[in-house]
Amino acid sequence: MGQRKIVIVDDDPDIVESMKVVLESAGYSVETASNGTEGLELIKEVNPHLVIMDVMMNSLQEGFIVSRELKSDPNYKHIPILMVTSVKDKTGIDFESAAGDDEWLPVEGYFDKPVKPQVLLEKVKSLLHES
Amino acid sequence: MESVLQSKSLIQRAYWLVHLRWVAVAVLVCATFLASETLKVSLAVSALYTVAAAVAVYNFVLFDLLRYLVERAEHPSLRMLSRIITFQIGADFVILTVILHYSGGIENPFFFSFIFHVVIASTILSTLQSYLAATFAVAVFGTLTLLESFGVLAHYELVPFVSVDFFANRFYVLGTLFVFSATLYLVVYMTTSIMKQLRRQQEGFELVNLQLKQKDYYKNEYILRLTHDIKGHLAAIDGCLNVVREKIVGPLNDKQMDLIERGHNRAVKCLAFVNALLKLTRMKLTGRLDMELFSLKRSIFNAFAAAENGAKAKNLEYAYEMDTAVDTVYGESTLIEETITNMLLNSVKYTPAGGIVKLSVKDAKDHILIQISDSGIGIPPDETEKIFEEFYRAANARKVERDGTGLGLSIAKQVVTRHHGKIWAQNNPEGGSTFSFTIPKDLQSHPEAGTVR
Repeated sequence: MGQRKIVIVDDDPDIVESMKVVLESAGYSVETASNGTEGLELIKEVNPHLVIMDVMMNSLQEGFIVSRELKSDPNYKHIPILMVTSVKDKTGIDFESAAGDDEWLPVEGYFDKPVKPQVLLEKVKSLLHES
Repeated sequence: MESVLQSKSLIQRAYWLVHLRWVAVAVLVCATFLASETLKVSLAVSALYTVAAAVAVYNFVLFDLLRYLVERAEHPSLRMLSRIITFQIGADFVILTVILHYSGGIENPFFFSFIFHVVIASTILSTLQSYLAATFAVAVFGTLTLLESFGVLAHYELVPFVSVDFFANRFYVLGTLFVFSATLYLVVYMTTSIMKQLRRQQEGFELVNLQLKQKDYYKNEYILRLTHDIKGHLAAIDGCLNVVREKIVGPLNDKQMDLIERGHNRAVKCLAFVNALLKLTRMKLTGRLDMELFSLKRSIFNAFAAAENGAKAKNLEYAYEMDTAVDTVYGESTLIEETITNMLLNSVKYTPAGGIVKLSVKDAKDHILIQISDSGIGIPPDETEKIFEEFYRAANARKVERDGTGLGLSIAKQVVTRHHGKIWAQNNPEGGSTFSFTIPKDLQSHPEAGTVR
């Protein structure tokens, strides 16, 4: 099956590093980008099996915008997106019920910061149908 | 908002006039009776009683009309209300003049009662309208006295109260009318000036109030931004610690593990605090809650289940009772459920092992009463209200848990207040404490449901 590729798009280098370490230790190949534009380029270049995306980067909704763009491109719409957020309390968005709604929040899963290694790995595995 | 307030106060005034008129009718009947029976004054008794009856009927119709306008018509317009009040004042002048006509005209000292209405008019109506009202009073009463004086209208004498025919003395009549009108205009002038001053003051207060609200809003936005920033850092710190803690980057010796664990615990506590503060602040900043009809029953079950493990671990007697009538309520389901859960968790936390925690849900007349009582550490006397203040923690609670956020009950209070309910705490005579809050049943019809008070 070969090594599974994951792209992390997040502007917080420390969060990126901690996730990268966890995912690499589980045998995934990880590439990272620190903003939406860079992320989109990287995803198109790498064509990963999974994208992990922060909601709020430079702008409040950058993560949403990139996700929608990916989902509207037939070449990339199959790639599952796992959204990372710490904004639940700021935006008041109910991610649990919104995730999976293609119109509104076109992602396959989400989790709240801080990253818990076990939770992260479980989510990634289930999205890659490895569990 | 301002026009709603204004129309509210105009409605109050309109009712006030109606109520005063009942008193006036009673006074008229009593005065007529006393004057004619006891003082043997020669009054047109039957005419006066007829007038009293007519005014009573008029007042009843007016009362009904007002009630209809307030209850049926959604929002009686300001113009409509001010017209009704103007009409009432004008009609009262005519009524008073008719009464005076049957009780001696200018010879009856009660003619100065016009002043009352002029004062009332000056507090409610505009300056111009007030002067017009005074002019109308002078005109009606002046016409009456002059007509009586010239013999066009009959004059009812007040024997033996007034034995000289003042009414026929033109000089006296004109002089009295002059003083009368001068007095009325002066009253209008004084009252409207005082009212202007009062209104200006009130506007000042309202402005300050608005500025305070604005400042409070900015303060909350500031807290929100700051807290959110801190949360970002904390999340990164804890994320990194977690990677080490779970030995993903290699094994740790016991001392290393212990220190990492300590760091992680503090980060978790700080995150809990930051999350609570975010929640409270966000609630304060949001204008409305998303309210809907939801099953309170289910929320109670969920909340009860959420604290059950903790209660079992401490071997507590843990039970609930719920009135069968309790079903759905109108409100924000997640917030209500969380509030009950948190209060249960609180009781479990502060009740020593082997104690009791009980949840009771009662259907009271117009509200649902939710109570959580325990056999725990109780609340220091005098602090049963303070514990709902932000960041306040009772000394005995601090001993049980050093690093509580001090925000749990503030959030609960915010939630309950948003639902227009009440929340309070008291100590039980047999030890422990009871936390109670209410959810009104008629919330759905409440126009300001979910908004900040």
